[in-house]
Amino acid sequence: MRVPLSWLREYVDVELSPEQLAERLTLLGMEVQAIEQWGADWRSVVVGELLTVEKHPHADRLHLTTVSVGSGEPLHIVCGANNIAPGQRVPVALPGAVLPGGRRIERTEKMGIASEGMLCSGDELHITTDADGILILPPATPLGRDLSELYGDVVLDVDVKPNRGDALCLVGLAREVAAATGATVRWPEIAVEEAGEPVTDRLRVEIREPELCTRFVGRWVSGAKIGPSPDWVQMRLQAAGMRPINNVVDAANYVMLELGKPTHTFNGATVHDGTIIVRRALPGERLETLDHIERELTPDTLIIADPEGPIGIAGVMGGFDSEITDATTEIAIESAVFDPVSIRRTGHRYALRSEASLRFEKGQEARLARIGADRVAQLTVAWAGGSIARGRIDTAPTEPVSARLAFRPARVSKLLGASISVDEQRDLLRRVGVETEAAPTGTRIQVAVEPKALVVDAGSEEVLVAVVPTWRRDLAIEADVAEEIARVRGYETTPAHLPETLMPAYRPSPLTVREIVRGALAGAGLSEVVTHALVSPLDEARLLWPEDADEPALPAQLVAQSGVEIAVTNPLSAQHSVLRQHLAASLLDVLSLNERQGRPDVAIFEIGKRYAGVDGGPREWTRLGLLLSGAAEPASWNRTARQYDLDDAKGILELLCRRLGLPEPSYVPDTRGFPFHPGRALLARQEAGNEAVAGRLAELHPDALAEWDLRAQRVIVAEIAIAGLDVATPRRIHVEPIPRFPEVERDLAVIVAEARTAAEVEACIRSHGGNLLRRVRLFDLYRGAPLAATEKSLAYRLVFGAKDRTLTEADLDAVTAEVTRGLKQELGAHLRS
Amino acid sequence: MDFESLSGDLRRLKERALGEIAKVADPAALEQLQIQYLGKKGDLTAVLRGIGALPAEDRPRVGAVANEVDEAVRGALAERGTELRNVMQAQRLAAEQVDVTLPGRAVPRGTLHPIPETIAAIAEVFGQFGFVVYEGPEVEDDLTNFQMLNIALDHPARDLWDTLYVDIPGHLLRTHTSPGQIRVMQSTRPPIRALLPGRCFRYEAVDASHGFEFFQVEGLMVDEGTSMADLKGLLDEFAHALFGPRKTRFRPGYYPFTEPSVAFDVECVVCGGVGCPACSKSGWMTILGAGMVHPVVLQYGGIDPERYQGFAFGMGVERISNLRHAVPDLRYYLENDLRFLEQFR
Ligand SMILES: [Zn+2]
Repeated sequence: MRVPLSWLREYVDVELSPEQLAERLTLLGMEVQAIEQWGADWRSVVVGELLTVEKHPHADRLHLTTVSVGSGEPLHIVCGANNIAPGQRVPVALPGAVLPGGRRIERTEKMGIASEGMLCSGDELHITTDADGILILPPATPLGRDLSELYGDVVLDVDVKPNRGDALCLVGLAREVAAATGATVRWPEIAVEEAGEPVTDRLRVEIREPELCTRFVGRWVSGAKIGPSPDWVQMRLQAAGMRPINNVVDAANYVMLELGKPTHTFNGATVHDGTIIVRRALPGERLETLDHIERELTPDTLIIADPEGPIGIAGVMGGFDSEITDATTEIAIESAVFDPVSIRRTGHRYALRSEASLRFEKGQEARLARIGADRVAQLTVAWAGGSIARGRIDTAPTEPVSARLAFRPARVSKLLGASISVDEQRDLLRRVGVETEAAPTGTRIQVAVEPKALVVDAGSEEVLVAVVPTWRRDLAIEADVAEEIARVRGYETTPAHLPETLMPAYRPSPLTVREIVRGALAGAGLSEVVTHALVSPLDEARLLWPEDADEPALPAQLVAQSGVEIAVTNPLSAQHSVLRQHLAASLLDVLSLNERQGRPDVAIFEIGKRYAGVDGGPREWTRLGLLLSGAAEPASWNRTARQYDLDDAKGILELLCRRLGLPEPSYVPDTRGFPFHPGRALLARQEAGNEAVAGRLAELHPDALAEWDLRAQRVIVAEIAIAGLDVATPRRIHVEPIPRFPEVERDLAVIVAEARTAAEVEACIRSHGGNLLRRVRLFDLYRGAPLAATEKSLAYRLVFGAKDRTLTEADLDAVTAEVTRGLKQELGAHLRS
Repeated sequence: MDFESLSGDLRRLKERALGEIAKVADPAALEQLQIQYLGKKGDLTAVLRGIGALPAEDRPRVGAVANEVDEAVRGALAERGTELRNVMQAQRLAAEQVDVTLPGRAVPRGTLHPIPETIAAIAEVFGQFGFVVYEGPEVEDDLTNFQMLNIALDHPARDLWDTLYVDIPGHLLRTHTSPGQIRVMQSTRPPIRALLPGRCFRYEAVDASHGFEFFQVEGLMVDEGTSMADLKGLLDEFAHALFGPRKTRFRPGYYPFTEPSVAFDVECVVCGGVGCPACSKSGWMTILGAGMVHPVVLQYGGIDPERYQGFAFGMGVERISNLRHAVPDLRYYLENDLRFLEQFR
């Protein structure tokens, strides 16, 4: 809300500087977001007096003038306006002046005659909306003075919070200033001089929806003459950010800004039968609103109608046909209170929010319906002439009474953690217009209204009753009283100390495992990223891991149950319109961005969520995503480059398993192909019944890289589920005693057919190794002579040991023979000697 | 064969050996000389084979000479060996000299993203005061995100949260971490000290200071007698931990789910309170919003507002990070340009 200080001063004295006032209002909860110097953009515009006005010799539409600006020689200025005459005081833009919008005024020549400046219209100065005539200043305006000194103003931009609709007006903010400074609020003098016929002869009002229109006050003005408002009114409206229209519409807008009461003025001659009906729209009814848009009305819209049909959308916007025009003389004034929810929904329905609906939505004090109607009528005849019909139509003339709210001063102190005496609390409340009284015995306290009313006995505690002013619709429970006391007292006085209350029980943090993973991966050379959860459905589909019924079963708690994509119904853009079901697409975006920046070596990870709809509800899983591309070790003066490949991703997974104290995973080929490399994709899993890690690791198919416009030769992506990423599970390492008897090693070079996997060979060795076999480690992979082209050799180091003795050669020979037999029998393998 | 000729042979052998040892230039040749002179089949042994032909009284004398020759040759071998080793080591060391000013062999080192890092820093501070970390769902139901936080469907304050809705009826992308307050209260009993970090969403166009995805950390403390002074005390500790000793203040704020509501300001981290463009000349920067939990919220959380009271606070992770790291543009966070990330090594 824009608050011109000169206007505010009409309702309250302000001794403070604008900066001090802004600070005080901010500390009171009326946050001043900007202090603007209105008129600061009139530079070198001064008050002049027209000495002579003559016709231009070469142009009919131009005048030659001489203008005194108080000192120096009179200026010769050429002017195109017709409303000027000698003796008038006018704004003069001197050469070098800059007008609002940046227009620069220079010495010029117009049709052969020099012009030493410019006479300004109200529009050129953004003071009024009159662009045709020169702004004529009052005769007493001091000659030669800077216009900004005379008419400039300071405008505060105040952020009024949604619960304080009562402060969305000058009187309301004057009340806050008074609370801050102790000054007194001056209400405008509202006096209505009625004349002629009774209003009931001109206007009838019928409320068909009393729930949605709780009060309607109507007045009638006859014989008005429509024209521009007085200049000072236009200036105030302009400074407050509202465009002047005409003297009647301006009167309504002025009252809205002054009192916070939106009203509407109809061209009385267009209201059929002089009858206004407040009802819901009928199906198919249409209305052209003031903004020239023809709108189809729905039956849940509250409208203002006459017997012929709609003439306005209640509380939101009037109809074009009943608008005040230059020819209007009869004016019907509507000052009503509408249901806030209905107005809010209507505004949303038509995407139509007006200054009026904004105020109606926040709730209106019923009293203002009467006051607003009177004030608009008063200002209308003051600015447009005419006479006010006798009396007013009022559908709910009983004025509301002040609410009474009991509170316990001791509870206020307890909530705020500050000891505030009862007397001080009463004084503080008085400053915001809340009087307090001793409570009758047995008064109960409203602790809460919703979701269930909670009313308690005060017991032995002292109770006061706050008499809440009718405009403070936001004060309903004891805590609201505490807030008033706290903000008037000043939150800066809040004491600070550490809590002395009980500590909660221990709870494992979901961050613990993530911290371990993050530290390990950063140490391994990967950079952490955080990407969008909302992604493009196209990118998502391009990378969706092919689902396959034959997929080796992964443990259910680790792997996404197949679900449906969750889409945003009101997305900002298609690019971010669905929740991701995997992290890979987001990571590829990061790769793509960095490739474009000339950074092709990208090794990144993200711990983030994937989302899916399961059984009609949303599900979320925390996952680790990896992407490796480019050089793992970039070329340097002391080494050559090494490119990332699938083995790096596996190595990282193995590192994480060790770091988390989990058994190492085993790998199963995933040959389902596109979008992944058919020979370089795998599922990682752990022994059944002991699963804590599962994942999918793969190199992308070259065609997929092309689809993403990536330059990289190889891109490895992985998505890994780790128990504990969502909720930490305590990890326990069981220490094995250090062996008392030495371990012995045997190396086996196993020759198998190409088609056999390392996992198969290792599993076979383990299954035949018996209980003396402790560890198996692959140390060489060989292809070539003297092996056949269809063969390969896998060399393993087997470590044996026993708890109770040193193993003999015979022990090792026996185990080795058994392993060899198993390899031959199950895999057709033989040993290289 | 007599004593004289035999001892003469020995002396000549010694002369010859010492001469050759002095001339030898590499350890292998030196070893060869050792074998040649002192080995089992060496020259010394060969000469001594003649000892048997001597009279018995001469034998000890020859033995003494032979010992002397043996010692002299051994000594010369050892000495020459040491000399040679010293020379060779000196040569090796000279040859191995490197330009120690060359850069080292790079150890791959990744970086940690400022958003999780900032969350961890916040959790570390509040963790010291007994706050435990919870997480709530990002696809939240409308009731928990709004109504249970005292923001009814047609509450004008709903305009403060431009919401993204999803195609699951009754659900939306949470607009703040505050619904986590409800979930914590429903899942545990006072005393409660909870911290809820996480991703939030708003219908908001992206620019240097806005995004449709962002991160918040919510805090909640509920117990008998938990007061606004406790809130101020904890937030002061937090501000000092992250931004160093500097002035702080409460000023009024507005949230439907707290009553009273405050904004928490710290002295501007750029100008130190004098006033600058970063703080709109106020000298203060708002780092979070807070307040005493509204009785409506306590009731929805299953907590008796007559017996218990508490506070809640919520802060933007990016905001805290911006103030700590002077990040100029909010878009940096989710873009993940390595030139940004690598500054957090
Ligand atoms: Zn500053």
